[in-house]
Amino acid sequence: MLEIAHLNKSFSLGGTKRVLDDFDLSMRPGEFVSLIGPSGCGKTTALRIVAGLLEQTSGTVTIDGSVSTGPSRDKAIVFQHFNLLPWRTAIDNVAYGLELQGMPKAKRMQVATEYLDLVGLTESAQKYPSQLSGGMRQRIGIARALAIDPKLLLMDEPFGALDALTREHLQGQLARICQERNLTTLFVTHSIDEAIYLSDRVVVMGVQPGRIIAEFHITMRKPRGDYNFRAEPEYAQVREDIWRLLEQQIVRAERVA
Amino acid sequence: MGAATAAPVADASSTPRGRSLADRIWTRRNGLRVLSLVTVFLVWEIWGRANPFFASYPTAILGASGRILLPEVLPALTTTVWALLVGMAISIPIGVMFGFAMARFRLIEIALLPYMNAIYATPRIALIPVLVLWLGIGFELRVTIVALGAVFPIIINSYAGAKHVDEELLDTGRAFMASERQLLRTIVLPATTPFVFAGLRIGLGRGISGVIVAEMTAALTGIGRILISHAKYLQIAELFVGIMVLGLFSLVLFDLLNRSQRRLTPWAATDGT
Repeated sequence: MLEIAHLNKSFSLGGTKRVLDDFDLSMRPGEFVSLIGPSGCGKTTALRIVAGLLEQTSGTVTIDGSVSTGPSRDKAIVFQHFNLLPWRTAIDNVAYGLELQGMPKAKRMQVATEYLDLVGLTESAQKYPSQLSGGMRQRIGIARALAIDPKLLLMDEPFGALDALTREHLQGQLARICQERNLTTLFVTHSIDEAIYLSDRVVVMGVQPGRIIAEFHITMRKPRGDYNFRAEPEYAQVREDIWRLLEQQIVRAERVA
Repeated sequence: MGAATAAPVADASSTPRGRSLADRIWTRRNGLRVLSLVTVFLVWEIWGRANPFFASYPTAILGASGRILLPEVLPALTTTVWALLVGMAISIPIGVMFGFAMARFRLIEIALLPYMNAIYATPRIALIPVLVLWLGIGFELRVTIVALGAVFPIIINSYAGAKHVDEELLDTGRAFMASERQLLRTIVLPATTPFVFAGLRIGLGRGISGVIVAEMTAALTGIGRILISHAKYLQIAELFVGIMVLGLFSLVLFDLLNRSQRRLTPWAATDGT
């Protein structure tokens, strides 16, 4: 469904810096893939290129057979800092993408209400973002992305700015929604635990240059919020393996910097 | 247990809205305000009666208002306000348009920004003599002075606001497929509105002082003329009527501005008490 082939990205800021080196990834429909790596490994860069917000130096992104070169209706993004429009109420934020597509008001309000229900914020429809907690804001961010009914959901450290408890709560909600709707999701995170909890596959990235160094298939039964998946031997093993790899990369990043 | 049902009940009785109107007016804070007002007027009255030549006092001003408010001051105020409003009405759209154009088009920014800053820094009062030569001393002169005073702060502020719209929000709009026009309407415009109001507030202040100065020095009409003519004959009480009407009216204008800002930017819950 998603094919990323030989993606490269360099920035030239007084000497060329290779941010992403020959990044390859293909995802099947309904798959949940996490990108994990230390700061500077290019995971967010890769995600933003797929979203069409950043242009690659070379390489291609293909969605369902057609080459993707910019933002499009078939993908939606959720940001780390929510990026809600402060001047729009919760429901108008959820309806934003639909409004841009020209959906008539009555229809888009109906759809937005549906997605506000999905994330459990029906009561807050008329509130402004400044009146809502971080967790509620991000649920609106998720509802806004889902409302345009994307084929591909892109999430850029969506829970990174939230406190630990809210974070765990939203992970459970997201796992449920993704599974129920069979969403294809590309998820960027700093958290090994979060990556294992949510993903079918965890892609580990390294630094200098940013590239893929390993992949782990997580075979534990989903949804993992329903049982103590952290007690499974697979969890301990994968967590340990990922951490060993990341630790090397962190040391490496510090040495170069 | 009963927390969910108890919360709204406590809420309703403890908010200010739950109290009666009389309770809200007779707070200790308002009592203090009344007391300070009475004291000031009392001291002023006594001091004014002791210096009858150059000073005036509240009862004298009250008497003077009775004599000149309707026949003299109100028509003058109409004259002044008319020039003020026309000048503001001209400068708002022009200011916002120039501000946005400078923020969005690099060439316009490079070409115009130095002039904007230079003219903004120049006191408009210095322009009155040359404007009299060009425009005469009529309505056009006063409107021009108001517009010149108001337009630059509006330009500079709209420019600053539109220039520094959060890139992350613009990216969000782009990710959801916003066209350039849609970005302008759904992000740049609302993000800039509070800045436009900041410019308007400075502009209005400069507009008011501009029109009064023009009326006192060149046009000899409106509230400006009232101030000058009564000062000439040492009619201090009448002079104060003019000053007070002007002050009150300015307050009303600024209040209108604040109200319209609250209405247009309901998401920015500013409450200034």
